[in-house]
Amino acid sequence: MSESGAQLFARLEGRRCLKDIEPHLFPEDGGPDHGEVVELCGMEGTGKTELLYHLLCRCVLPEAAGGLEVDVVFVDTDYSLDMLRLVSILDSRLNTALSSSFSAGSEEAALRSCLSRLLVVHCSSSSQLLLTLHFLETSLSSRPSLALLLIDSISAFYWLDRCGGGASVTKQEEKLSKCAELLGRLLRDYRVTVFASCHAIRRSSSGPSSSSDSYLCRSWQRLVSHRLLCSRQDPAVDREQRRRQVFTVRCTSSSSCRVKAFRSSSFYVTDGGVEFIGTSSSQDSEQSQ
Amino acid sequence: MVVLREGMCPGLDAGLLRDLRAADVKTVEDLVSSDTEELARKCSVSYKALLAIRRVLLAQHTAFPVSGADLYEELLSSTAILSTGNPSLDKLLDSGLYTGEITELSGGPGSGKSQVCFGVAVHISYQLKQSVVYIDTTGGLTAGRLLEMLQTETSNTEEQMAALQRIQIFRLFDVYSLLDCLYGLRSGGLQQASVGGGSVKAVIVDSVSAVISPLLGGKHNEGMSLMIQVAGVLKTMAKDFNVAALVTNHVTRSGSGEVQPGLGASWSHIPRTRILLERAEPSAAVSPSGLRSATLIKSSRQPCHIKAEFDLRWWSRSEEESSRKRKLDETDS
Repeated sequence: MSESGAQLFARLEGRRCLKDIEPHLFPEDGGPDHGEVVELCGMEGTGKTELLYHLLCRCVLPEAAGGLEVDVVFVDTDYSLDMLRLVSILDSRLNTALSSSFSAGSEEAALRSCLSRLLVVHCSSSSQLLLTLHFLETSLSSRPSLALLLIDSISAFYWLDRCGGGASVTKQEEKLSKCAELLGRLLRDYRVTVFASCHAIRRSSSGPSSSSDSYLCRSWQRLVSHRLLCSRQDPAVDREQRRRQVFTVRCTSSSSCRVKAFRSSSFYVTDGGVEFIGTSSSQDSEQSQ
Repeated sequence: MVVLREGMCPGLDAGLLRDLRAADVKTVEDLVSSDTEELARKCSVSYKALLAIRRVLLAQHTAFPVSGADLYEELLSSTAILSTGNPSLDKLLDSGLYTGEITELSGGPGSGKSQVCFGVAVHISYQLKQSVVYIDTTGGLTAGRLLEMLQTETSNTEEQMAALQRIQIFRLFDVYSLLDCLYGLRSGGLQQASVGGGSVKAVIVDSVSAVISPLLGGKHNEGMSLMIQVAGVLKTMAKDFNVAALVTNHVTRSGSGEVQPGLGASWSHIPRTRILLERAEPSAAVSPSGLRSATLIKSSRQPCHIKAEFDLRWWSRSEEESSRKRKLDETDS
């Protein structure tokens, strides 16, 4: 398909690289590069959506408040976006960073400018997700500052597709495969970064250190270069930290140009969003718990 | 999956439809995903015309992106917080039930889930003067109990009748009728259910696990798919019509023996807020106590695992009793 000069420029200009989006999460110099997909998986209540809010805030905040000032598209498939919570995180971060010279009016203006960098889309089925990704292609070509695509969650239609596809596994996975292929093409052409959350459907009985296998289709699994496994520490175990729930994230980065690397980190969830505590990293070897 | 039909958009006539079907393009998704140049060649139609059709169909069927600022404005003006009528439960829920979300109440038999639902329905209908849709799947709702709760609020029979009229009840016992009812409510039924000036502010489903858990398990996936469909229609209804959805769930025991809400891991992502109800530590009293303890197990606004104790008889207390109870609460805390 031919494209206009403006579209070509927007495509090649080079979107902001998000390698430094959150150094606590990823191994040394191993943040998500252009066109890479990061999958966050975990059980309910393990902090996946909070992490997405944290990354969102990091992207839309102005540079003076520690942000990257890029546009973000949030694809909401299960109506889990809580705008009030998001705004309270943005507010508290803007307040801590720009506390000195701001009056009430300019604070609101700063909040509004942050929110105007965010685009939210609600999808209610995987066919609609496919059509929406096609539609987003025009947004991608017209907004060169758009560098991040957040999908919460990619597994929302898993059971609907599985039942709708009857007995054949290919038919069941067909819709998500098409979405994954289209997403792959958009990543190659427009070089954005994608973070997607995937809900776990089986409770793992062997504790948080076991890696749960992805149950989504093969085309999606091939796209993913980083997997963040989220889990929650049992509150009974940590007696001193009983007041605050500790969440752990274990990152597995595997892409063709790098060796496999791992990193574990933990965080609390406060009123101002995610706060990281001690981290540990390793290269090529399993971190023993 | 939207099938291509004649007249869906200008330019899509019967002849073009036939050629498209011959080229194996039957749905809107197929049309949008296929290569427009090649398709135009195969169906011997001009490239520009096909491109225009593609653009119109995409605009018709896609979800439209909204700016974050507009979404926030809309939410500020439309979100309401409905008090449940019980101050300790309200404190646990961060001042009450939020519209636009699903709140789940889980508990074992006799833990008071239905009583809490009655209390919430009566409070919203009498104090807040708004309508409530109550979907009863267990057969546990009796108008007599609602009347009893209302009689402690007011002795004026007209006000009692007006409040009872604002609670609309549906009795269904299988998941297909539940889906029928919810789809009907979503496509216009909610406006019709708004009587007495107040719009519907809450939809209570007691209980959602009674109709879904018999279908789960085994080799068939239909049960899971129906569960996700129910969740989807409840969420879209809550968001589009600004109602608070309250559902109840049973409990099971996890592998390590502790009590957890039922319906499995796939349902656990659906409600925004989850509360587990249990009987409070019973004192040596022989008479059945109304004390219950509620634990917050999932919330996006409060730290988890905070507990609150409350009395189920709160919603049917009389006036002098309530002031005495309030003094008791103050000395306790």
